[in-house]
Amino acid sequence: MSFIRAIGWIVWKDLVSELRSRESFSSMLFFALAVILIFSFSFSMDREAIKELIAGVIWVAFGFTGIIGLGKSFTVEMHNDCLEALQISPASKGAIYLGKLLANLLFILCVEVMLLPLFMIFFNLELLEKLPVLLVIMIGGTLGLSALGTLFSALTVQIRAREVMLPILLLPMAVPVFIGAVEATRGLLSGQPFDLYRPWIDLLLVFDVIFTIVSFWVIDFVLDD
Amino acid sequence: MSTFMLWLRKYQGWFGAAGGLLTATGLYLGLVASPPDYYQGEVVRIMYVHVPFAQSSLLAYTALFGASAWYLWKRDPLIDHVAHAAAGIGVFFTSAALVTGSIWAKPTWNTWWTWDPRLVSFTVLLLILIGYLMLRMFIDERERQARFAAILAIVGGIDLPIVKFSVEWWRTLHQPLSVSPRGVSYAGDMLTPLLIMAIGISLLFTYMLMVRTQLLYLRQLLDAKKGRLLSQAHL
Amino acid sequence: MAATVAIRAEGLSKSYRDYLVLQEVSFELAAGACYALFGPNGAGKTTLLKILATLQRPSAGRVQLLGRDLLADRTAVRGQLFFLAHGSHLYDDLNAVENLRFALGLRGVAPTGREIKLALDRVGIGAFADLKSRYFSAGMKKRLAMAKAWLIRPKLLFMDEAYASLDEKGMALVNLLIRESRQDGAAIFMSSHDRAKVAEVADRAGVLRQGRLHELPVTELRTAHELY
Repeated sequence: MSFIRAIGWIVWKDLVSELRSRESFSSMLFFALAVILIFSFSFSMDREAIKELIAGVIWVAFGFTGIIGLGKSFTVEMHNDCLEALQISPASKGAIYLGKLLANLLFILCVEVMLLPLFMIFFNLELLEKLPVLLVIMIGGTLGLSALGTLFSALTVQIRAREVMLPILLLPMAVPVFIGAVEATRGLLSGQPFDLYRPWIDLLLVFDVIFTIVSFWVIDFVLDD
Repeated sequence: MSTFMLWLRKYQGWFGAAGGLLTATGLYLGLVASPPDYYQGEVVRIMYVHVPFAQSSLLAYTALFGASAWYLWKRDPLIDHVAHAAAGIGVFFTSAALVTGSIWAKPTWNTWWTWDPRLVSFTVLLLILIGYLMLRMFIDERERQARFAAILAIVGGIDLPIVKFSVEWWRTLHQPLSVSPRGVSYAGDMLTPLLIMAIGISLLFTYMLMVRTQLLYLRQLLDAKKGRLLSQAHL
Repeated sequence: MAATVAIRAEGLSKSYRDYLVLQEVSFELAAGACYALFGPNGAGKTTLLKILATLQRPSAGRVQLLGRDLLADRTAVRGQLFFLAHGSHLYDDLNAVENLRFALGLRGVAPTGREIKLALDRVGIGAFADLKSRYFSAGMKKRLAMAKAWLIRPKLLFMDEAYASLDEKGMALVNLLIRESRQDGAAIFMSSHDRAKVAEVADRAGVLRQGRLHELPVTELRTAHELY
């Protein structure tokens, strides 16, 4: 159906553009690297402190990285007024939203996966056996952030002070996602039994569904006059 | 001048007077006439303002949420003024609630801040309201400003219960509730002044909302007049 | 030709920051006709075009496109309209063919490779099919946009500063597009500063002055000394 095809076209377009320019990717990667370096320097002396705080550090890095990617998601549409073309396109705005969401999710997850070896090196973490569950948590958290972030990116790209407004609007609202992701990650990394921190993963997925549905429902008002 | 605004102007005085009267009564009863609490001494008196402030802050967000939903449905620019006004007043009451809450917390729990679900939720609420006002500052076109702001208010309204819930869950895992504001049991003679204050401050809130709505409306009329004069001196 | 009304505007007004850009603009345009809009810089031509192209809402008044009310029924009409705007609507990292496939794909249209090649040749950029549009000149971008229009065959064609950035051949192409679209039954609403070129294809004309639309007889395009 044309709804699905429209989503496909948006994902294809964003994928091809990003693969060729690597603009978002490099910005996200270098920023995350800087964040990790600063944190690793701050905690270099205290191994106990690292254990307590590493889950939070990981999600701070992921969060800021995600915001950069989410911002770029719609600022690229401002070149040559491409946003106009999307606005008067007969394709459903919901399809455009979902396409952008999928593309964002893919890019941000890719960068996050690339950061994992860095976490292992700088903070001496054993992540390999924990990888499958960690990936699930990463998808859950990134999806939650991206669901709201894609909506707010579409909104803030049309206003002044857009780079500063996206984090100002997104971060308070994304608090539940951060709580869930950090708790689940902490449970996983500190070796807790799965059933103990599993509720957090379930909660994350519930948040993801709610945020995606709300954003999908509301996107028409943001992308259409 | 629209009939809605005229109606507001007509009745605002009643709300203001009633609110002022009740608040004054409540303050007298609470600060002067009632006894200090057995456990918490004099500092519990701040509850007489803290609780009503918190309530009015939620009242403000409810007004904001309702007006935003109404605006998206009916696209009535006057309702948008109500939403805008509610957000501004909400910032005042939320900040006041947080500050008075902190003042109460320090002598009681020996901390300015703690991971209490309501404290975190109110902080997020304040941040959302500030974000709302900033958003409106950065959009010039009136229709788009109203529309985007309404979206933000609605998404925020859905988000806030989720925030509260997630912090509650977190807290039950990490800090079993030993002491919390809920643990405060109100002695009988505390209840009356508290109730009077709650109603009084809510009435004052309504009065402030009515006044500020008119203010925003008049400011917009003024801008429109300026704009018309400008466009007559077109090119 | 059957005179079905393609565009109907009644009392169209637009205020922007309380600055009245358009005031009580009213007109009707039949299918197969071409309306040329003139006016000084900043007169509101682009705003009017954007409202008609469903990009913005009017502050007051009604607009009907192909018989459908603009505010109630926009998505239905969008599949039938095309806007050749000031911005090229092209993605810098995609080449010409990919840009066309994307734009058409979003409309649910899947042209064959041959159709795309024909369209590109027609607008004279066939040799640049595989070039990333980042490297296109402004004129080439305009031509690519025209290739899009040819593949879409819209019932409503809107053009903002139709001849901008184009050389003689490019401008002739625009007029060819207009003529063929009119024959197809499309209605064209365009803004321009070039009276001579427009006079070849327009059968209605108007000037936007201080937000108000003043219709002109088309003959004045050739004869009048100064329009605005």
